Amino acid sequence: MDISQVLFYALSAMALGSAIMVVISRNPVHSVLWLIITFFAISGHYILMNAQFLGIVNLIVYAGAIMVLFLFVIMLMNLNAETEPQKNKWLKLAGVVAGGCLLLVLVAALKQAEVKGKVAMLETGDIGLIRNLGKALFTDFVVPFEISSILFLSAMVGAVVIGKK
Amino acid sequence: MLSDFFILMKQELVIMVIIFVLLLLKIGADMSNEKMMNLANGLLLLNLAAGFTGNQPGVLFNEMYVTNPLIVLEKNILNLGTLIISLQSFSWLKKHDHVPEFYVLLLCTLLGMFFMISSGNLILFYIGLELSSIPLATMANFDLAAKRSSEAAMKFIMSSAFASGLLLFGISLLYGATGTLTFSEMTALITGSPLHIFAFVLLLAGFAFKISVVPFHLWTADVYEGAPVAVTSWLSVVSKGSVLFVFVSVLYTVFKPIAGNWYNMLFLLSVVTILIGNLFAIRQNNIKRFLAFSSIAQIGFILVGITGSSQVSSASVVYFVLIYVFSNLAAFGVVALVSAVTGREQVSDYKGFYKTNPVLSWVLTIALFSLAGVPPTAGFFGKFFLLMAGAGKGNYIPITIAALNMILSFYYYLRIVKAVFMDANEQPIERLTIPAYSKLAMFICVAGILITGLAGFVYDYIYALSFGF
Amino acid sequence: MSSIPLTHILFVSTALFFIGVYGLFTRRNLITMLMAIELMLNSVNINFVAFNKYLYPHTLNGVFFSLFIITVAAAEAAVAIAIIINLYRNHRSIDVEDAQEMKY
Repeated sequence: MDISQVLFYALSAMALGSAIMVVISRNPVHSVLWLIITFFAISGHYILMNAQFLGIVNLIVYAGAIMVLFLFVIMLMNLNAETEPQKNKWLKLAGVVAGGCLLLVLVAALKQAEVKGKVAMLETGDIGLIRNLGKALFTDFVVPFEISSILFLSAMVGAVVIGKK
Repeated sequence: MLSDFFILMKQELVIMVIIFVLLLLKIGADMSNEKMMNLANGLLLLNLAAGFTGNQPGVLFNEMYVTNPLIVLEKNILNLGTLIISLQSFSWLKKHDHVPEFYVLLLCTLLGMFFMISSGNLILFYIGLELSSIPLATMANFDLAAKRSSEAAMKFIMSSAFASGLLLFGISLLYGATGTLTFSEMTALITGSPLHIFAFVLLLAGFAFKISVVPFHLWTADVYEGAPVAVTSWLSVVSKGSVLFVFVSVLYTVFKPIAGNWYNMLFLLSVVTILIGNLFAIRQNNIKRFLAFSSIAQIGFILVGITGSSQVSSASVVYFVLIYVFSNLAAFGVVALVSAVTGREQVSDYKGFYKTNPVLSWVLTIALFSLAGVPPTAGFFGKFFLLMAGAGKGNYIPITIAALNMILSFYYYLRIVKAVFMDANEQPIERLTIPAYSKLAMFICVAGILITGLAGFVYDYIYALSFGF
Repeated sequence: MSSIPLTHILFVSTALFFIGVYGLFTRRNLITMLMAIELMLNSVNINFVAFNKYLYPHTLNGVFFSLFIITVAAAEAAVAIAIIINLYRNHRSIDVEDAQEMKY
C-alpha cells in the first residue's frame, strides 16, 4: 500500500464520516464545523488528483467564505436552538432505504459503462498550471465567466433588497 | 471578429445595457417611481423592437454560444412577455420602495434565460439556468412585509437548489460517459447504455422541476400563491416558456439516439400531469393558486405534443408558448389590477364582477376561453396543433386522455366565468379605473388571442424555422 | 504512481450526494438544509474532477465546470441566507414545519 492509497482512504473516511455528522448533529454550529472538516477532506482529494488550483479555491471560497457567512448568521441571529423535534422515524428509515436503492442503481449503471479499473494517469502537472487555466478561461470560457459576474451582481442586489431592514 | 461578437449577441447586449442604465440611475439620480417605470417601459419597448432587426445566425467561442432564426424568435417571444408583464405591474409597483431593483432583477433573469436558450455547451446552459432562477427567488420575496411572500421565496429556493443538484449530478455522469460538454459533439457519443439513460433521467428531473411537471410540481402552488402577482405571471409564462424551449431543443438534438426511451417516460409524465393538474384545479379557491394548477395542466398538454418528436411538434410547442403568453398574461393582468387596488384574491370575490367592471370581465372571459381551448380563440388552435403533433406517433391513448381532460378543464374555467357573469355578491369589487399601461397590455393580449389563431402566417412562419426528426 | 481505481472515488462522491439528499429531506432547520445542499454540490464537483483527471486528462472541462459550480453555489448560499433572515423576521422561527400558511 503506497502512500497515496493510504492518504486516499484516510481522506475518504474523514469526508464520509464528517458528512454523516453534518446531517446528524442537533446543534447547527456543530453541523457547520463538521462541514468545514468535510471541505478540508474534499480539498485533499482534489490535490491528490492533481487539481491543485481547484483544491485551494475550494478551501478559500467554500470553507473560508461561505461557511464563515453561515456561522455569522447563526451566531448573530441566535438561531442555534437545540430543540429540533426530529421527523418521523419511519420517514427517516424510508429515506435511507430509498437512498440506498438509488445508490445500487447507480453502481449497476456504472459497472456496465466500463469505467471500472481505469487508473489515474498522473502526468507531469503541466495541464493543471494556473497559466493554462487562465488562458482557457479567457478564450473558450469567457461567456460563462462574464455571466457569473452578472449573477453576483443580481445576487447582491437581491440580497440587499431582502436583507436590509 | 469583434463585430461578429456584437452582431450575434445583440439581444443580450441590449439587455445588459438596460440593466446597467437602471442600476446607475438608481444609485445616481433621484427619480420618482412613476418616472422610473416610464423609462423602464420605454427601454423594454425599444428592446422588443430591436430584437426584430439585423439578426444573423452563427456560433461564438468554439460553439459555446449559438444563434439561429428559431432562437431569435424564441427570445422575441420572451421579450414580448417581459414588456406585457412590466406594463401590467404598474399599479402594484408604484407603491413599492424598490422599483429599479425590481427591473434589474427581472432583466437579470431574462438575460439568464437568453443565454440558456442560445447555449451550445452545458456550462453556459447551467449558468444561464442558475442566473434565471436565483434572482427570481429574491423577486418572489418582494412583498417584504407579507409572511406568505417570504415562505414562497424559501420554498422556491430550496426546491430550486435541490433540482439543480440533481441536474448537475446528471450532467456530471453525462460528462463522464461522453467526455465532452458541447451539445453537437455529444449527440454522436450517446448510445443507449444504462449510464446514459440514468444521466438522462436525472437531467429530466431537473427540467421537470422547472416546468412543474408532476411529481415535481409541489412547489408551484405555494410559490404562485405567495409571490406578488407580477412575479407569479413571470414564473408561469416566461420562466416556463424558456425552459420549454431549451428542453425541446436538447431533447431533439442531443438525446435523439435514445428517443425510444424518453418517449415512454414523457408519455407517462404527460398523462399524470394532466390528470393531477385538472383534479387539483377543481377545488381551488384562491385565483392565483387556481391559475397555478391550470398552468400545470397546460404543461401536460405540451408534453403530449413533445412526444411526437417531429417538425410539427417543435413548431407547435413554440406556437403554443406564444399563445400561452397572451392568454395567461391577459388573465393575470386582470388579477394583478384587482389585487393591487383591492387586495382580494379569492374566486368568490369575483362574483358579480360583470356588474361593476364589464371591460375587465370580458378580458378575463376571453383569456379563460383561450386557456380552455374554445374556438375561435387562439388557445383552441394551439391545443389542436399539439394534439395533432402528439398523434403523429400513432399512440392514441395519451391523445384520448388529453382530449377528455380538455372537457374536464372546461368545468373549472367556466366555473369562474359563471361566477363573474351570473352570481350575485354582497360586497362586489368596486369599479376600478384602469391605468393606461394596463389598458395597453390587455389590448395587446386580447388582440394576440383573437388574431394569432386565425392568422395563418404566424404558424407557417414558426413551422418553417423548426426542426424535428 | 497511484493505483486507486476510478470507481472508488465515484463511490465516495455518490455516497456524499445521497447523504446530502437525506439531510435535505430529514432536517427541519433551514440552515442545515442549506448545508445539505452544499454537500450535494460538492459531491458533483468531485465527480467532475475525477472524470476529468482519470478519463480525459488532456482537457480541462471538468475542472472548469467545478469552478463555475463553486461560484454559483456561493451566490445561491448568499441569497438563501438573505431569504432565511427575512423569514426569521416575519415568522420568528426557522423551523421549516412552522412556515405552513399555504396548504393544499
